[in-house]
Amino acid sequence: MPKITVDGKIIDVPKGRTVLQALDDLGLLMNGVDIPHYCWHPKLSIDGSCRLCQIEVDGSPKLQIACDTPVLEGMVLRTDTERVRKARQGVMELLLINHPLDCPICDQAGECKLQDYAFEYGVAESRTREPRRAKQKNVDLGPTIVFDQERCILCRRCTRFCNEISGTGELVVMNRGDESKIETFPGVPLDNPYSMNVADICPVGALTTKDFRFKIRVWFLEDVPGICTGCSNGCNIYLGVADNKVHRYVPRRNDAVNDTWICDAGRMSYRNIGAADRLKHVLVRGSLGVPEVASFDAAIEESAVRLSRLRESKGSGAIAAVASPHATNEDLFVLRRFLDALGVVRAGVAVVRGEADDLLVKADKAANAAGAEALGFGDAGSVVAGIRKGEIDGLIVLGHDVLDASSLGDVGLLGDLDTLIALDTHQSALQRVAHVMFPVRHLAEKFGTVVNAAGLVQRVRPAVEPAWEARTEGAILARIGHALGLAGFDGRFDPREESKRLGADYPAFAGIDWNSVGESGRSLARAESASEGISV
Amino acid sequence: MLKVPYVTSYLTEHFGDDAFGTIEGYEAKGGYRAARRAITQMSPDEVVELVKESGLQGRGGAGFPTGMKWSFMPKETDGPKYLVCNADESEPGSFKDRILMERAPHLVIEGMLIAAWAIGASKSFIYVRGEYAYPAKQMMRAVQEAYDRGLLGRRLMHSDFNHDIVIQRGAGAYICGEETGLLESLEGKKGQPRKKPPFPAQFGAFGRPSTVNNVETFAHVPHIVSKGTDWFRSFGTEQSPGTTVFGVSGHVLRPGLFELPLGTPLQEIVFDHAGGPPEGRRVKGVIPGGMSMPILPAHQLDVPMANEFLRERKTMLGTGGVMVMDDTTCMVRVGELVSYFFRDESCGQCTQCREGTGWLHQILRRLERGAGAPDDLDILLDVAGSMEGQTICAFADAAAWPVQGLIRHFRSDFEEHIRQRKCPFPESFEL
Repeated sequence: MPKITVDGKIIDVPKGRTVLQALDDLGLLMNGVDIPHYCWHPKLSIDGSCRLCQIEVDGSPKLQIACDTPVLEGMVLRTDTERVRKARQGVMELLLINHPLDCPICDQAGECKLQDYAFEYGVAESRTREPRRAKQKNVDLGPTIVFDQERCILCRRCTRFCNEISGTGELVVMNRGDESKIETFPGVPLDNPYSMNVADICPVGALTTKDFRFKIRVWFLEDVPGICTGCSNGCNIYLGVADNKVHRYVPRRNDAVNDTWICDAGRMSYRNIGAADRLKHVLVRGSLGVPEVASFDAAIEESAVRLSRLRESKGSGAIAAVASPHATNEDLFVLRRFLDALGVVRAGVAVVRGEADDLLVKADKAANAAGAEALGFGDAGSVVAGIRKGEIDGLIVLGHDVLDASSLGDVGLLGDLDTLIALDTHQSALQRVAHVMFPVRHLAEKFGTVVNAAGLVQRVRPAVEPAWEARTEGAILARIGHALGLAGFDGRFDPREESKRLGADYPAFAGIDWNSVGESGRSLARAESASEGISV
Repeated sequence: MLKVPYVTSYLTEHFGDDAFGTIEGYEAKGGYRAARRAITQMSPDEVVELVKESGLQGRGGAGFPTGMKWSFMPKETDGPKYLVCNADESEPGSFKDRILMERAPHLVIEGMLIAAWAIGASKSFIYVRGEYAYPAKQMMRAVQEAYDRGLLGRRLMHSDFNHDIVIQRGAGAYICGEETGLLESLEGKKGQPRKKPPFPAQFGAFGRPSTVNNVETFAHVPHIVSKGTDWFRSFGTEQSPGTTVFGVSGHVLRPGLFELPLGTPLQEIVFDHAGGPPEGRRVKGVIPGGMSMPILPAHQLDVPMANEFLRERKTMLGTGGVMVMDDTTCMVRVGELVSYFFRDESCGQCTQCREGTGWLHQILRRLERGAGAPDDLDILLDVAGSMEGQTICAFADAAAWPVQGLIRHFRSDFEEHIRQRKCPFPESFEL
């Protein structure tokens, strides 16, 4: 590892990297060593055009751009000298001479690098007497993105993203000199499954998403770390929360999972959290055979009575369960313990599958399919087969993925069951046939851990609080288990406690709990999980 | 007989002879003997050493030592190496490469052949400025003649050496004369200079090691090979040997091309050779080497035209395009014109260049219209200072230097515009 000196501090840096890359690798960039930059992005090729990251390199007569200067043993760098500041001021002044300065109506205000660096390096007063260059406002680039040419500083991150990451190449720089502008070719809009990332990487307010535009000032948003629920890739995100409402997802960097990206479908899945079709009431099928709003306690009682009656009349073999790939490991661990204590062996997980791609999107359309598998829930096919054959009289179902065409297809067969207890986040046809229906929390509303397709355990925490009575699957099952008098159930559920017990019971999860997972996740111990972890 | 150039030396001595442009005429004057000698009797390293010893400097503007540039090429590669002839002569005030291609295409091709042998290139590209239709046609004809004679192609001159020449015409962008901008354009991409390193010798045309030299640079090479370094060094100065073809334009009685040794005093070029300004006029300023080089005032025309002397006067030889302006000339208008050119031609990659060229032009245009303010000169110098030496290529320097030069030597012109709130030079050239 070469040693370099940055502003008098000696640091070991990785070999074969440029100054900005090396500082970024070490987590020091803008976090101890401030080298402002626009065109450089850790996940895109080096452009070297914004010229803001110029620093002094001993031995070089000219200032050098940190983004493209390779680290060499013994290199001495100065990032905060008068000469460097003057150069940065020059760049900032030039970037601002034609900028519309419409921060009061710009969505980027508050998270704008032009604002930030202008504040730090800019001069408060403009020296231009010339009219600002008029360009096109409100350019519709495609279904997801709106472009403001006047705000654009031509850092070309977006064009590189389309060339190098999405591989679709819709965005190009047209013309040259100060007539340069980002454009699409006629008839080829910016339309790809990752298009909205260009708004994230745009350092200014030039590219904005149609979804988030004009919605809320970003300084009202709290960025809560979380995991996208769109598929089993487990992309790291920040949930932008204000007034107990999630206003957007933006990608949270995790080089082991999603780099700095997220797909558009995943990004838009924030809408599921506050969706109109959320299940908001505890429902118990009344004497007339229609679901009626009931109290939580009454529903627990009803569930316990039905399950215990069924167990006595037909035995545990008549009961089956379908686990949800949307629940946390802790919820599923409680389900596992519940089924074991009840003597239920027929259980599986139903996962809706869809399209996958080479970048992020995985076929399993749920955040915790791998967690369910690690906890011993195999495919729900055996449960579905049992239902079809009429071998099952009672079913506990988490989520409604089992209604997908690849499993049951519809609720027709479920109507004949003696007992159907459903726990779900959203409304579905299950309501028509369930005897008891519990509204449960979304991953954005609870503590817990999930496992992505690559076996990385990641954690979630409540970003918002549901405005209705919703509990976690674990909490509901803990209560039913207690009501049934099952061993190991005292009616309480603490996800952090469950997380610890899970680690003790399942070697794959050994040493992994909510705290130790941290914000960037920890891998399952894979070898053990194959031999001991799974017990079906 | 063609009357250009007015003054000739070894490069241009046969330019009056139309036959010199054909293979027969060229060979009749001893053409291709140097290439034959280099390829059949000299090793590539010997050629590189010879050119190094000659002290030949690139004639495209930067004046980089040619032999040294060749020596940067890697020797062992597992793929092709390329040679590129930069014939994108687009510096305003320069027109020497054009006449070389028109009158002596085989001299250029012979120089390229020797260079290709020296660096081990199997293929060359001649990138000809888009507007140069006739020179491109001449080069194409000459290349075909050379192929027909077995001077190009496989096992040329009955040696083991293979070499092909491809002619590519540009589309008229100034920046495609910058060597890496040229390479991008050659590859069919937008003409935007590449960041360096890697330099073309590592990563050039189509990602392969490449050397890019100017047309005139190649034209010197056969003479150096056939007559030796001592002969070559008998022209010019110690540090800048050889002749160059000066193109003189502007307010002189005899504008045109003059092949003179480097180090010839500028005043000799302007007055003795180009005839000086018209009757009753005085020279006000002279741009010594194409529009991107800072201007010199009349009292500094004693400077010898070689970089080691010009640098002391904060300017450079550039392409040797001498532009003479007499005392009717408004230097603010010159600034407006120059800055408009660079604003229009900036590729737009780097912030300072994209925004700075536009701002310089806007300020200068306003000054020329009589709407300047006293602090405009400080802003001009600040903006030029922000542009200088901070960008991917030298274009921003080329845009900043002339403005700095104009203010350095003709500050009173600017101040008069601001004071009188109008242009005080009613007879100056029209924009």
